[in-house]
Amino acid sequence: MSSKSDTLLFLSRPFLTKKQILKAQSNNIQDHRAYNQKKLAIIKFLSDICVQLRFPRKTLEAALYFYQRFYLFNKFETELCYTIATSAILLSCKQVETIKKSNEICSISLRLRSVAKVTPEILDNFKKRVCQHELRLLEAISFDYRINNYVHIDEYVIKLGKELAFSQETCYLAWIIAYDVLKTEIILVVPQHTISLAVLKIAHELPNAKSTWPTIRYTTFESDEKSFSEAYFDLLNFYINSFDLCDLKDNMPSGLQSISIDTFIELKKRAGREYGLKNPTDKEVDTDLYLSTQYDTSNVRERRYVLSAKSINSEVASMNQKP
Amino acid sequence: MEYTKEKKVGEGTYAVVYLGTKQSTGRSIAVKEIKSSAFKDGLDMSAIREVKYLQEIQHENVIELVDIFLASENLNLVLEFLPSDLEVIIKDKSILFTPADIKSWMLMTLRGVHHCHRNFILHRDLKPNNLLIAPDGQIKVADFGLARTVPSPHEILTSNVVTRWYRAPELLFGAKHYTSAIDVWSVGVIFAELMLRIPYLPGKSDIDQVEVTFRALGTPTDRDWPDVSSFPAYNKLQMYTPPSREELRRRFIAASENALDYLCGMLTMNPQKRWNTVQCLESEYFKEAPSPTEPSKIKIS
Repeated sequence: MSSKSDTLLFLSRPFLTKKQILKAQSNNIQDHRAYNQKKLAIIKFLSDICVQLRFPRKTLEAALYFYQRFYLFNKFETELCYTIATSAILLSCKQVETIKKSNEICSISLRLRSVAKVTPEILDNFKKRVCQHELRLLEAISFDYRINNYVHIDEYVIKLGKELAFSQETCYLAWIIAYDVLKTEIILVVPQHTISLAVLKIAHELPNAKSTWPTIRYTTFESDEKSFSEAYFDLLNFYINSFDLCDLKDNMPSGLQSISIDTFIELKKRAGREYGLKNPTDKEVDTDLYLSTQYDTSNVRERRYVLSAKSINSEVASMNQKP
Repeated sequence: MEYTKEKKVGEGTYAVVYLGTKQSTGRSIAVKEIKSSAFKDGLDMSAIREVKYLQEIQHENVIELVDIFLASENLNLVLEFLPSDLEVIIKDKSILFTPADIKSWMLMTLRGVHHCHRNFILHRDLKPNNLLIAPDGQIKVADFGLARTVPSPHEILTSNVVTRWYRAPELLFGAKHYTSAIDVWSVGVIFAELMLRIPYLPGKSDIDQVEVTFRALGTPTDRDWPDVSSFPAYNKLQMYTPPSREELRRRFIAASENALDYLCGMLTMNPQKRWNTVQCLESEYFKEAPSPTEPSKIKIS
């Protein structure tokens, strides 16, 4: 990120390490516990909207990516979070082409929050607030539409499962686990297809901890071992630390009822040393302007969003060439 | 400010277009300012599609999305500046162009469309007005406001896409599932329009479009398009026989036999039998003389 008099230039960074996420959140989330509790309520709330409007999982997934990205760069306030979540689902509908009128989304949102009587006036005011936040959400993702466009965890669980010749039962189990993924922050850390691979590994090992994961060249799947491992351990840790919160325990396929927290502890034990993406140093994180600077954008006339460092470099080069 | 807006050149339902300059490089650009007043359902879907797909695609024959910026809380898309389009060229009767020029425009259009299709993107609004011409003569496929990703087999799509005259028969029938073949049909109609220099299938209404299309090219039957008669609108159709080769020759006087094959390949009623962009690009039409004119040498002014 660089600044130039009346222009701010943002380079998109769609994925951040856990340390970077924590740093960004520390500027905006005062009470992490309250944020996490609210996030679970928001997942339930958005899931209910998706069920009522018959949206596929990918709409929910994109909405939660937008919601979580928003609170990396904007102050978390409990009163506003349902409006932001509604805005996130409105945007995700457009992103993944499951289009619904904003009126419909907003009225269901209000109804789910038990607003006694949704008058046209209440609906209109709420709609205005929801629409106002769309641009803020897009800013939080630097208008980077490459994420959440083609690749979605639930779809790739099936595609990659088929590619790896896993049974339908394994893929189904993976699809259930993929819902629990949304309760973690891993979607902000590694791309969805990598998460799908990690989910498949867990689904493959769960029924029988001794089953061996096929030798995979991760690059074949446009991934890498560290990212894969990051997602794998993150999910294991979620089940170990928050088993009560998971949906898997309530939706266990037949024959797998014996799965418990101990099964995941056993899996982790067998997996060996936990490793994943390399985190930057504290100093690097502290000096990272993208994570630590609160910009007062009211005085900035132009905020530009670019996707690749290459375009910034070529612009700098052409500016330097100018006499 | 990195971008200036110097002159308003157009206004649509969701955006105002300005000509401007990228200050750091002096490059001429077009700025599409998305109207915030038009946010009835929030940010306009056309703007989202335009950004979403142009971010994915970088090709010589597809318009370049140079930048995105927010100014005064308005979203602005910076696009490459393209001074003309094929509609202007076709309508301006003072401009004379040759079969080799048409071949060159077709080749460039197909390359752009093929690039979209191989990236699983349907354009869904191909027409001369959306084929812009760069100062170096290159055709650029533009306006991705109706584009979408190739759907999964079960996904239901709207058939209310593509400007009427360029609408494929499956869309006229109200198909809920269709493929990239709809874009190829549009390219076929554009090819015919370039040869005739008047719109080839100018329906006055959606109903008239069905009549005009099948009168010109024949009403499809179950024999060459299995189950076409199961479309609800099929039974109301007037049955026309397809034009004979001789009739096509008379209609397109300057077209060679290979050019007619190429035209018929793109305007095949059955979308499964219709040529795809690879078949089009590999057709004999592009291999026979005359060679496509070098884009920079096409005289359009």
